[in-house]
Amino acid sequence: MARAVAVVGVGQTHHGRRMDVSYPDLVREAVVRVFEDTGLSPKDVDGVVSGTMPSMMEGVALTHLYFAEAMQAVGKPILKTETCGSTGVSIAHTAFYWVASGMAEVVLAVGHEKMYEGDSQATMTTVLDPFYQRYFLAGAPGVFSMQSQLWATRYKIPQDKIRDAAAFISVTHHQSAFDNPYAHIKMKVTMEDVKNSRIIVYPIRLLDVCPNSDGACAVIFASEKVAKRLGRKVAWVKGVGYRGDEQFFGDSDKVVWQSAIEAAKQAYDQAGIKDPLKELDVAEVYNPFTYQEMIFYECFGFCEFGKAPDLVLRGIFSREGELPVCPSGGVLCTNPIGATGLIRVAEAAMQVTGRAGEHQVPGAKLALAHAMGGIDQFNGVMILGSEL
Amino acid sequence: MAREYRTLKTEVRLPYEVAYGATWTRFFEGLKDKKIYGTRCKECKRVLVPARSFCPRCFVTTDEWVEVKEEGTLVAWCYTNYRYFGMPIEPPFVTGLIRLDGTDVNFLHLIGGFDLSNFEEVSKTLRNGIKVKAVWSEERRGHILDIRYFEPV
Amino acid sequence: MPRKVAIVSVAQIGGADSKENFYDQAYRVVKEALDKAGISREKVGCVVTAASDIFHGGISCANAYHWDPAGAVLRNGSRQDAESLFALVYGAMRIMSGHYDTALVVGLCKGSENPENDTCTLMFSDPFYFRPLGLNETMAAALQMRLFMDHYGITREQCAKVAVKNLRNALGNPYAHRKGIYSAEEILASRPVVEPLTELECAPKSEGMAALVLASEEMARKLTDRPVWIEGFGTSLDAYWIGDRDLLQGQLTNAAKRAYEMAGITAPWEQIHLAEITEPYAFQELLWYEQLGFCGPGQGGKLIDQGVTEKGGLLPVNPSGGTLAWNPYVSRGLHRAIEAFLQIREEAGERQVHREVKTALVHGTHGFAGQCHTVVILGS
Repeated sequence: MARAVAVVGVGQTHHGRRMDVSYPDLVREAVVRVFEDTGLSPKDVDGVVSGTMPSMMEGVALTHLYFAEAMQAVGKPILKTETCGSTGVSIAHTAFYWVASGMAEVVLAVGHEKMYEGDSQATMTTVLDPFYQRYFLAGAPGVFSMQSQLWATRYKIPQDKIRDAAAFISVTHHQSAFDNPYAHIKMKVTMEDVKNSRIIVYPIRLLDVCPNSDGACAVIFASEKVAKRLGRKVAWVKGVGYRGDEQFFGDSDKVVWQSAIEAAKQAYDQAGIKDPLKELDVAEVYNPFTYQEMIFYECFGFCEFGKAPDLVLRGIFSREGELPVCPSGGVLCTNPIGATGLIRVAEAAMQVTGRAGEHQVPGAKLALAHAMGGIDQFNGVMILGSEL
Repeated sequence: MAREYRTLKTEVRLPYEVAYGATWTRFFEGLKDKKIYGTRCKECKRVLVPARSFCPRCFVTTDEWVEVKEEGTLVAWCYTNYRYFGMPIEPPFVTGLIRLDGTDVNFLHLIGGFDLSNFEEVSKTLRNGIKVKAVWSEERRGHILDIRYFEPV
Repeated sequence: MPRKVAIVSVAQIGGADSKENFYDQAYRVVKEALDKAGISREKVGCVVTAASDIFHGGISCANAYHWDPAGAVLRNGSRQDAESLFALVYGAMRIMSGHYDTALVVGLCKGSENPENDTCTLMFSDPFYFRPLGLNETMAAALQMRLFMDHYGITREQCAKVAVKNLRNALGNPYAHRKGIYSAEEILASRPVVEPLTELECAPKSEGMAALVLASEEMARKLTDRPVWIEGFGTSLDAYWIGDRDLLQGQLTNAAKRAYEMAGITAPWEQIHLAEITEPYAFQELLWYEQLGFCGPGQGGKLIDQGVTEKGGLLPVNPSGGTLAWNPYVSRGLHRAIEAFLQIREEAGERQVHREVKTALVHGTHGFAGQCHTVVILGS
């Protein structure tokens, strides 16, 4: 049987526009906090894994070199994991397998991004190949617009219903962000505000989409031995899953989205989850776009295909609902891309250890963390639970 | 309110020279001749467009070339009318996923041939499921934009 | 006791400028490794690729582009940045964890589609301090080389001898594109780059793609009758600020120590039979000898003078020609591993060393003056 691995502590920066600090200092802020949270010190760390979005985002390549000191990684074993937007969860997976392999007792995982120092849309376009796709996809919004259209058409969901459900989601998450001291966007929004906000790429409006954020997140993974020694509640890794579709956006169905469905299934199987809506207490889904968020609910088996808007409008996924989604405010309110996936893991860990403060879901014991990357290409999932 | 310090404004521009290789050379040369080529996988029998040298699912070489119809069905579209640094296409423009007749995957390209300046009007013209047909550029050079756009039929 | 992991098959391509499409090349290499192992991509447990955006033809999120040819569509996979031996280590750990029985490890770097190495490595520099000064790997190496020679009295001829040895060894390597019989004088007379380095002492820009299939002990014995075991590995990262570092006492010592401990090696100069190490700058091979424990500090020059590390010597180093002959930046570490694999299995053709190779050391490095090192021990 594989070794048990736990998240024993987390640290995050105050995400947002952080022109008050240099990029290395931003990274350091999260790292200092995770050591404070766990009571461990750098000398306890057996390995460090870090990652971020493309080097062109901030114009520095091989950032693990630049941040050696900031991560307290000097003299340490190191790995560098990068998978576009899903980087944060892939980093968590790396730390998990590292401890699970027996090659480390304690691994520090760090994800970071300083988006205000770059041009995110211009950078994201360079993800596309220069022969073909780069001409047609203007950053992320166009892709997600097409994806939601495909979904709405396939299941004959009335435009109004989807529009209302997406707005409902936006209102819910913006409200939750007030209860998260680290969240970036803290703005009171109403359904009308969302529906009247500036169009980005139809039907997606400004309040349907994530911000650009600066931020970093640091999470410490440890073996059962260390977890027990620390004597505090920890979040056990119950399941992990990851899949990637083809590079060409047109090659796969992004509604019955295989990479999302199978990544979740791999994690559910490992965790022994059969009915995610019932068994999960919290889902920190990667949700930069309200419309797309509903497609994730369906692909993760929270409801049948085409039914997510109905459940959203009934409050099933709200803070007091059957399965609260992103009580942290989610990616919609905070998106430092290289850190975002890891923040989902950190938030899930905080929930199941009762350390989520004002946005704690009472009694949460089992949580899902998820990140997506590329042009609707990659999906990574991690399930965390309070029981071994 | 935390104190803000100076910032450094800088741009990074790097030169690259990327190889087409045999398959894509043939595909792009085809565009010069107003032909859209796909390749059929001998195992799953899917026709993939643009033409591929291998099937990403079956992981076998695909060397059966198929001249694909330049007409198809609009599967999804989106309207872009904002700017960012280094955009290759002048906004406003419409991007679409098109299932060209006889193929098994969607082809990404522009939709055009009508006034794009007003989104309301555009959304009246475009509906998923309509037929579209390629309109070729006068001057073609073996480039994806040898197809100017796909026009609603 | 962690599960044993072996390499069961390998494939690679390389050269200077093939004018082939990246996709097509990557697919061929991956398919070859899978076919040689007799395993389909659906059956492989997971895929770990290695590529860096800065070395990837101007295409960011490298894994998004190369996912298809890496055989990873709808498979569990991940990507390591900067160092392809990271992918080897990560793939091995996934198997050691018990969650997978096999892993496909892929390294991809098409140098012909990238800017010059110096342009790319300049991008490792922070924008405020290092970059305006033009600090890139060549400049950092030149500083380190000056210190190395001044401190220990290593001579320029001794440094050049590394290039002489490796470029001659490369004659037997079809993937190496910088090769030939040179004298130390000719190496030193080649175009000066950053003093004291000359052009032939600096690795070129190259294409290289590598694919390896890793397997647990049980699976390895099913897939091949000659598995090559991963007996140990270690990585280590040095400080970033170059002025803070001791450039002659770097982190290679730590990376090697970790690998040696895992592999049960206490006397490397005796127990290692062959080494494939990454020497982007000729003098660094001498410095790496010392930090790997092949000789004492400052003794690297003597080691090469004595011919110990020649192809026919007691401890052959870089019979493939090493990085000086062929340098696809990100994938180069895996090419070192592949050479060691072939040498252990006596499949290295005209590059095959005469002495028996039971245990080989594989090394990769990246960053200014070797800021980061990875060591892997392979054995029969």
